[in-house]
Amino acid sequence: MASIDSLQFHHSLFNLQSSIGRVKLRIPSSLVLFRRRPENLNWVRVKTNQRFVCKAISDDSSTPDEEIIQNDNDVATTTQSNIPRDSNDSITRFRSMITNIARDSESSISRFRSMVTTLPPFIFVMKKCSGNSLWIGICIASTVLVAAIRAYVVRKSRDHRSTGSVADLVRRGQLRSGDRRGISKSLNYEDPFNNPFVKLGKGSSTVEMCGKVYRLAPVTLTEKEQTIHQKRRSRAYQWKRPTVFLKEGDSVPPDVDPDTVRWIPANHPFATTVSDIDQDLAQTNVYQKQGVPFRIRAEHEAMQKKLEALQNEEKLNNLGIDSQNARDFQRPYKFSAKLDDDNLPKNSQENQTGNSSSEETHKS
Amino acid sequence: MASLRLFSTNHHQSLLLPSSFSSKTLVSSSPRFVKSPSRRSQIQSVLQFNRKPELAGETPRIVVITSGKGGVGKTTTTANVGLSLARYGFSVVAIDADLGLRNLDLLLGLENRVNYTVVEVLNGDCRLDQALVRDKRWSNFELLCISKPRSKLPMGFGGKALEWLVDALKTRPEGSPDFIIIDCPAGIDAGFITAITPANEAVLVTTPDITALRDADRVTGLLECDGIRDIKMIVNRVRTDMIRGEDMMSVLDVQEMLGLSLLGVIPEDSEVIRSTNRGFPLVLNKPPTLAGLAFEQAAWRLVEQDSMKAVMVEEEPKKRGFFSFFGG
Repeated sequence: MASIDSLQFHHSLFNLQSSIGRVKLRIPSSLVLFRRRPENLNWVRVKTNQRFVCKAISDDSSTPDEEIIQNDNDVATTTQSNIPRDSNDSITRFRSMITNIARDSESSISRFRSMVTTLPPFIFVMKKCSGNSLWIGICIASTVLVAAIRAYVVRKSRDHRSTGSVADLVRRGQLRSGDRRGISKSLNYEDPFNNPFVKLGKGSSTVEMCGKVYRLAPVTLTEKEQTIHQKRRSRAYQWKRPTVFLKEGDSVPPDVDPDTVRWIPANHPFATTVSDIDQDLAQTNVYQKQGVPFRIRAEHEAMQKKLEALQNEEKLNNLGIDSQNARDFQRPYKFSAKLDDDNLPKNSQENQTGNSSSEETHKS
Repeated sequence: MASLRLFSTNHHQSLLLPSSFSSKTLVSSSPRFVKSPSRRSQIQSVLQFNRKPELAGETPRIVVITSGKGGVGKTTTTANVGLSLARYGFSVVAIDADLGLRNLDLLLGLENRVNYTVVEVLNGDCRLDQALVRDKRWSNFELLCISKPRSKLPMGFGGKALEWLVDALKTRPEGSPDFIIIDCPAGIDAGFITAITPANEAVLVTTPDITALRDADRVTGLLECDGIRDIKMIVNRVRTDMIRGEDMMSVLDVQEMLGLSLLGVIPEDSEVIRSTNRGFPLVLNKPPTLAGLAFEQAAWRLVEQDSMKAVMVEEEPKKRGFFSFFGG
């Protein structure tokens, strides 16, 4: 059983026996014993802080139970030979403690031994692995390789997620096609912060938002400080809002406060002092609730008047030439109506070109 | 000249200003948040789950979002806070008052639907309701652009025009909106003057760097001179790793320098750029990102006229076990 790993836990005893180095480690609350079993090793005692003692002993033939008992004797013997005589009391107490621990742990040792003996496959594997470390290396290498591949894939997918597929855009609410597909829901004020990235920390002292943890720190600005800042600004910035806008070069009217004048250059990019429309009229336009807007109506009326004027003018002109021209334009139709039985296509062409028909009438 | 304390001694690693943690969590004086000592109620009080915020103040609340410095996230804040308010069920009109460089329509994905602006309304080319662009995702959110990129606003009644708009929105047939959010242009030029004219309260957006802080302090002073006293601050683009390395000022440092109440803290998030490019505001992402959550929380506090009484400080990253390498 020299190659079996034995691990024992007790309330005050920690016993470890490794198969690789054949090391037996026993750790009481105040003492550590290392027991090595390679052959031809004599007693070696190491003191650590006067409370930990590591020992390596050569003991190949003893069983674990015997080892424990014998170990107790060894400890006692070693203690007797090296520790001053006046510490006999402490040695005795220590010996009795070890004996008690050994007795208490007998039952657990026996249970553990029975458990170990019921695991022959594990023992077989351990024996085999201890002989061939190649397989262990392969296992470790394959694990590292799998983890690295997984990390790479996760990172790659995370990078590609922000490129924005259609589904991603719909999910983020940036594409409205989700409405047609029935994917997205309309947002309501009752639920504006239904955000899976917002989590509450323990005891509400922290809030995790979008992967970052925040804690709350109170604002330190007081009303008094605000007042001090306002007074400072009122002293620093003396300003009156300009109410009069004049073009550069114009003279200031006598009843206007010069501080309220704003000078607008002639080439100002977006402001001008020139207005095409009267101020009262502009105000009326803004207040207009219904009906045709002023300029549209004005333009319409102006066009209407112009049209009427044109029509009146045309009528007058037409009246002047009406008697002669009307007869001239009526004749060809009457004439062609008499001839249309024989030559319809020809007449139709002639009707499209009024000049030719009129020429014919003149000829006739 | 104002003396800004740019270097603070205490470098906290504060990042996210959580919810109106104020008296509701730490002091737990408000019974509606802390009804029971259970875990869920506590986290609800921190993150404000599952409760519609109670609107405080007179409606319409006219909020101007400004910064002074450009590129700190005014338009992003306007889009996300505005849509968050709409998601909470409030009627919101967002006015892009950036005369020269408007971008709010792009962030909202509504750029193809902006046909008329306030300039057309003033000229009488269209009515006000025709210039309002209703968001199809949240129908109680409307966008109004003040001008087209190449047009010029007549400054003779620029500020007055916004006041007329507010009056007209109050009396419109479908009812007054709960919130009118004005996206202010950068700088303190004519556009800034126009944008702040009708506002009752302001949200100052800043980043934790000294250039933005100096401009923010100046703008705060101008707002206070104009009579806007209710000014709250959103600290944007906060990086916890830089705060931990003491390369960036913490939120508490910023607050100490400006002396303003905290409405929210928005962490740096690459999703902001993606959502901007897609015209899909961050708060509509599902599941919401960290920055989206922070915008939601800021909108919540804006509704209740609340401010943060605690900040969230990032802890050390969790230590993963040995077997986590193997997927454990």
